[in-house]
Amino acid sequence: MQLISHSGLATWLDHLAQETTLIAPRNVDGVLLYRPVQSSGDIVWDFVRPVLSVKEAFFPATERVLTIEKTGQQIRLNETVPDGERVIFGVRSCDARGFLAMDALFANTEPVDVYYTTRRENTALIGLSCNEMGETCFCTSTGGAPDDPTGMDLMLTEVDDGYAIQVITEKGAALLPEITLQELAGEIPQPVLNDPVPFPPMEAWPPQFNDAYWADMAERCLSCRICAYVCPTCRCFDVRDEPLPAENGSQHFERIRCWDSCAGEVYRQIAGGHNPRAAKGDRMRNRFFCKFYYYPEQYGPVACTGCGRCVDACPVNIDITEVMHAVQRLAEVEP
Amino acid sequence: MTIRNGHNAMLPYLGKLVTVQDMAPEIKLFGIELLNVGSAQFADYQPGQFAFVSAFGVGEAPFGIASTPERGNVLEFAVQRLGAVTTEMHELGEGDIVGVRGPMGNWFPMEDFKGHDLVVLGGGIGGAPLRPVLQTVLDHRADYGHLNILWAARNPSLLLFREEYDTWRAAPDTELHLTVDEADGEWEHDLGLITDLLEKVAPAPKNTIAITCGPPIMIYYASKVLQKLGFEPKQCYATLEARMHCGIGKCGRCNMGEKLVCVDGPVFSIAEAGRFLESYL
Ligand SMILES: Cc1cc2nc3c(=O)[nH]c(=O)nc-3n(C[C@H](O)[C@H](O)[C@H](O)COP(=O)(O)OP(=O)(O)OC[C@H]3O[C@@H](n4cnc5c(N)ncnc54)[C@H](O)[C@@H]3O)c2cc1C
Ligand code: SF4
Ligand code: SF4
Ligand code: FES
Repeated sequence: MQLISHSGLATWLDHLAQETTLIAPRNVDGVLLYRPVQSSGDIVWDFVRPVLSVKEAFFPATERVLTIEKTGQQIRLNETVPDGERVIFGVRSCDARGFLAMDALFANTEPVDVYYTTRRENTALIGLSCNEMGETCFCTSTGGAPDDPTGMDLMLTEVDDGYAIQVITEKGAALLPEITLQELAGEIPQPVLNDPVPFPPMEAWPPQFNDAYWADMAERCLSCRICAYVCPTCRCFDVRDEPLPAENGSQHFERIRCWDSCAGEVYRQIAGGHNPRAAKGDRMRNRFFCKFYYYPEQYGPVACTGCGRCVDACPVNIDITEVMHAVQRLAEVEP
Repeated sequence: MTIRNGHNAMLPYLGKLVTVQDMAPEIKLFGIELLNVGSAQFADYQPGQFAFVSAFGVGEAPFGIASTPERGNVLEFAVQRLGAVTTEMHELGEGDIVGVRGPMGNWFPMEDFKGHDLVVLGGGIGGAPLRPVLQTVLDHRADYGHLNILWAARNPSLLLFREEYDTWRAAPDTELHLTVDEADGEWEHDLGLITDLLEKVAPAPKNTIAITCGPPIMIYYASKVLQKLGFEPKQCYATLEARMHCGIGKCGRCNMGEKLVCVDGPVFSIAEAGRFLESYL
């Protein structure tokens, strides 16, 4: 394996920032986010994980899908598929693992989502291993690890005199700096791990569907939906048209899609006011069943990477790891 | 660079409104002729499928297709005015351009229904997606057995497709039963819920398929009555409504358990949907 020095890395990132769009963890008004950087100096190095996952670079919180031009009775539509190549630096393993879930839905299930897949194809991911797990992280319980290179193109791990570089894909190899890299002497250090959380297997879930637990655990939920907003695997979206400034006698609109969440009160309300998930317990149950049962049943991957963001973000301390404990306990009581 | 296999499924086809008819208070029947590329996609859609219609500038919403390709290339939708998109649609007139995405979802296995007697239960706007079933049976009358149509609405003015009742009644081996929740003195048909009418008509389950569409509560109780009459869950079909924002399995909105109504449905046999029906109420 090869080694890049701290200064070599900075030079390489500066070069990438010149050549292409470089996205990396940076401080935006006190909030750590994956955002374009002008140079390596903009990058924040010491962090557990950015507040929002790297998902937003592929499936943005609000995204234009087309523009609409209306002139009298005539309509013209313009597809707004994104273009431009990008490199994202500082990707955490949990976020890259999120692509297993996102790809399964948007790229590997017909019809292919052109917005998401175009961005995936045009973007290279440079991972950065965690030396230790954050307080609320549990990636090792959902199949990942702080230094798991799954989904990355290159993987960097901090060592004594710089960073070890693992080349994962050809796309990654093509990004490597032209300077000759040293060979790494010795082993990559092992990350410090948290105690694992129980991971109830799929068959543990359906028998708990009608348990009183859900109404009980959800009672304090505020339906604020921040848990979904920060999640690297939540995929629900809403679609609507919004006006743009008029031009040359034509009305203009954009059709946008924006993140939404099954925790919202009217999420499922249908025409006529009927709401099959009016109760908070039903909505929270759906959230957790989706993560660990519906999503794997529908697409394969589990829809939780153990990033712990929702645990940090929830204003009333609803903790997904407690739910995992509870379901495991329920399943053991009545197998 | 970009790998594109085919059409961007979020991009609507353009279509022209060729007919806009008042059907009932707040319900209009729209006829749409697709322009260029879209028409090939809709060459052989099936009874029970739906499509997203765009009222550009406001948004799009899903509607059951109320026509069959056999009867011509105009797509018909019966649309009840309820919120933003449907209100904007009701403002549109002939010649206006709308968007259509689809056809979406699965359909009634009409081939498998051949040789069977049919009971079709339509409640309110839920009658719209069942019209293609009726049209298919009427256009191939000899392929199917006895046809019992049970048609309901809150009041007589809200009954859908009234001008077609004479044709339905005149078809061989076909009965039409009407019921409304409330009516004035001139009403000659039943009064009460469609489930009461179902108990009264009491179709025999042998070799019979029951098909229903309407509000969730109606589907739930209709399936109970059908089972009381001796129907097996696998003889009963329903087309379900869920809130939808994509129609193509991406937005996550329409799940019932691990099923997505937009791609795994909207047509389900009660054998399949039975375990969800209660949590859908
Ligand atoms: C498969 C399917 C077939 C349908 N077929 C027909 C039909 O043939 N004729 C007909 O009139 N209606 C049909 N509907 C219902 C129709 O989609 C809704 O009435 C429409 O989406 C309301 O949109 P809106 O913008 O006017 O309402 P909004 O302003 O969005 O809201 C009004 C009400 O409609 C609910 N609603 C919003 N979006 C949807 C949605 N996508 N699906 C269901 N409810 C929603 C809201 O929660 C609210 O209660 C069908 C729905 C589905 C899922
Ligand atoms: S963050 Fe907490 S309070 Fe907000 S919707 Fe999620 S579980 Fe409920
Ligand atoms: S559910 Fe919570 S812990 Fe799991 S991936 Fe989403 S935000 Fe991270
Ligand atoms: S409507 Fe989007 S997933 Fe079904």
